[in-house]
Amino acid sequence: MMATPGKTMKIFEELLESPQNRLVEQAVKDGRIPIAYSCSYVPEALLMADKLFPVRLHTPGVTGTEIADNYLSSFVCSYCRSLLEFIMDDRFDQIKGWISVPACIHMQRLYDNMEYLKHPTFNHILDVPRKVNEDTLEWMAEELKILADKLAAHFGVDMSEASLKKAMQVWNYFAVDVQSIGELRKEPNPPITGTEFHQMVMAALASPKDLILPVIRDFQKELSAREGIKKYRARLMVVGGHLHDPEFIRIIESQGGLVVADRFCTGTIPGFETIKINGTNPYKNMAQHVFQKAICPRMMEEFDRRLNTIVDIVKEYRVDGVVLEIIKFCDLWGVDAMPLVTALREKGIPVLKLEREYRLGGEGQLRTRVQAFIESMGK
Amino acid sequence: MKINTVIDNAKSKMTDLPYLTKRFLRNSWAGYLARGANPRDAAVFAKYWIMNWAAILHWIGQSIVKLGPIGFTRALYHNPWILILLRVNGASNRLTLGRSGMYHDSICLIMHTICLGVIDQLRQMLFDPKRLVIFEDLVPYDIGRAMGLNCYLLELMGIVLPILYSDASLPYIDEAENSGMNPDACSLPKATVGMVLKGHMPKGVAMVSSNMPCDAGAASYAFIQRAFNIPTYRVDAPYHFYNERAEKLFAKDVKGMIAWLEQHTPCRMDWDRMREICEGRNRMLELETELWEMISVKPAPLASEAVWLSHIWHFNVTAGHSRSIKLYEKLIKMARRNYENKIAATKNERYRAVLWNPPFLHFGDIFNWAERTYGVVLINDSMTYNHHGPIDTTSPDTMLRDWGRTVMQGPMVRHTRGPAEDYLDDIFRMIEQFNLDMVWVANHVGCKGGQAMNGILRERCRAKGIPLLILDYDLSDRRIVSHDNMMRQVEFFMENVMKAKRLDQQGAA
Repeated sequence: MMATPGKTMKIFEELLESPQNRLVEQAVKDGRIPIAYSCSYVPEALLMADKLFPVRLHTPGVTGTEIADNYLSSFVCSYCRSLLEFIMDDRFDQIKGWISVPACIHMQRLYDNMEYLKHPTFNHILDVPRKVNEDTLEWMAEELKILADKLAAHFGVDMSEASLKKAMQVWNYFAVDVQSIGELRKEPNPPITGTEFHQMVMAALASPKDLILPVIRDFQKELSAREGIKKYRARLMVVGGHLHDPEFIRIIESQGGLVVADRFCTGTIPGFETIKINGTNPYKNMAQHVFQKAICPRMMEEFDRRLNTIVDIVKEYRVDGVVLEIIKFCDLWGVDAMPLVTALREKGIPVLKLEREYRLGGEGQLRTRVQAFIESMGK
Repeated sequence: MKINTVIDNAKSKMTDLPYLTKRFLRNSWAGYLARGANPRDAAVFAKYWIMNWAAILHWIGQSIVKLGPIGFTRALYHNPWILILLRVNGASNRLTLGRSGMYHDSICLIMHTICLGVIDQLRQMLFDPKRLVIFEDLVPYDIGRAMGLNCYLLELMGIVLPILYSDASLPYIDEAENSGMNPDACSLPKATVGMVLKGHMPKGVAMVSSNMPCDAGAASYAFIQRAFNIPTYRVDAPYHFYNERAEKLFAKDVKGMIAWLEQHTPCRMDWDRMREICEGRNRMLELETELWEMISVKPAPLASEAVWLSHIWHFNVTAGHSRSIKLYEKLIKMARRNYENKIAATKNERYRAVLWNPPFLHFGDIFNWAERTYGVVLINDSMTYNHHGPIDTTSPDTMLRDWGRTVMQGPMVRHTRGPAEDYLDDIFRMIEQFNLDMVWVANHVGCKGGQAMNGILRERCRAKGIPLLILDYDLSDRRIVSHDNMMRQVEFFMENVMKAKRLDQQGAA
């Protein structure tokens, strides 16, 4: 089923081998400032203003989390533990600023432990509300303004309205290109596998957008010359929290599934929405954008939105089954999965719920479960 | 079912009989007398024993009249946990073991007020369901009461039942896990969800929940709302809450909640009633502060349940209620009498401890055991301690602002949001304020936020030379860490860190 990896795919693969890839290093050499973030409620566009660029934190090749376990305990989600382990090992030494979101208690305590153990010179926590209305939108816009002012004061960067508007436009160009590739997955025989798509997206999130955009455009050209994938047993959608390692999707696809839709934190639905630039308040535009592009169980009033988004995607992308992946100890997804699985099954959508660690493990078990799931759908 | 299975099951039950009989006798009045309590204490215990039964029987009679015999039987069938309330005297018996005088009396009194409070909850729940609104446990229902609503705290029984009977939550925890809830979640939301799944909860006409205190609790309301299919309002406390901007946002949110409740229930906000409740709260705060001042002196005139159990019920469930104010007035009198006569709550006081994180619900008497075994006295705990000011009752706006502040700066809420200092500073502040010797962390396995602070806390305590016990347990499930295991952890700590001998061995040495 897998298409032969082209030249650009190899670039994406290579960019994912390190938490700070060569494009990040290149940008830093050029005098630009990498700002790390780990949650989809941070608007990337804000961190693309002037010399800043956002780097989505991931920990490729993490093997153990011994130091992090001492501080965070082994009952905290392995993504946060992996991040703390890398932070303690100085694997993010290029990063100049850190933006956290108290999206969940795990992220919140990661911030606390990082602050205690490493005292980063710029470490900010963005107070994102857990419900959306006029008041919280206003609050979120103010939060973004506070962050922008702090960035301007600390790094001496231009966070003016014009600078932010320019950054939002750059984000929009970038998002449109990524989305156009994502759209190809609606076809009956998409030219791209879920693994490839996720490699591209993760590489894009972990790199300066302007530097990776030419590679993405090359990839687009490559795809236009490709034939569609015909040999697959079932079209699948992956739903859940942080999923960074494309190998997880590769294993799913090795059993005959074709992942055509990604509704998880680092996925594109609806993570790569464009920003509606209107009015004079760029912060409000960005606040509206983050509330739109991130769908997390932390948002208390959005269960129906989470459910309906999945149902709509199932129709739009002709999905046969949903794989719900949850990182062990994630309370938000762990608890939300209970009504979500029931509601999806009530709507006749087959669901496979997988509890996993952040780093890939238990591959044999994963293969068996995916295989059984596909068979259970009669595919 | 085959007859052999029935016989085997019966045999298996029979093997438990000696243990169950022993436990029953130990928890009964006979058991109380058999442990050789002095006649004065026995008389006080008997008084409350009778008062608790009288209250329960009165409620049963009232329920039969209001609901009819069939309606009452149906209510018991749908809410079988109500029967656990009958164990209230057994729980008093356990908690008073080894305690005498005012300390003993205060515990009997608190258990009695909780018994009355639970009965009030049952009345609200059963007698007028059309006005019943469900509240999440960290949104105190002062506003609901001011509006004249019947209110029910959804998590309440998940907290109270294990205090009365250790295994009370287990069937509900199992039900939630079997239905797909993550087993590693906190057992309180699991028990709550389990009760909802089994249909053992009142439904109400509307529900108010929040983002407090933790992820599992907040997330569980997506399920509960679908299960109940009733309109739900969610209050959202900001992460950074020690500032005017956050207070304004929260007050606006609460105002939105009031408007929403007026829209979804037949009741209207009565600000005069709200003022009375807030003034009652202020009075309780004043009295509790006085109590803390007295217990900060060595030896403490009252301790343990007199401090934490009184707060957990009366501030969270019936704040401002005349019964709660009276309880605190009585506690103050008892504490003052001991204080002025230089009588220690317990003659064994050797070490003064603070308990951090949720109390040991299913093993409420562990401090009783620690007192008798090592002279460790619980002085205060994180669920009780606070340092917010009173509510300004000048106008509805000041009430909303300060009531909101009280919620956001209340126990648990302020320790689960904001930077690490919000969690840590209180511990060290309490050590100074209450003259403490050690910190006990109730290391609830389901509480990831608390677990993730242990590393920092350990190093901070080490740097300050404060002995720290991180006691592993599960809030409502003793199958995770047994009572024996919990006692062993205390023993290891006392012997290896504190170099303390058991009190019964001190004479021998």
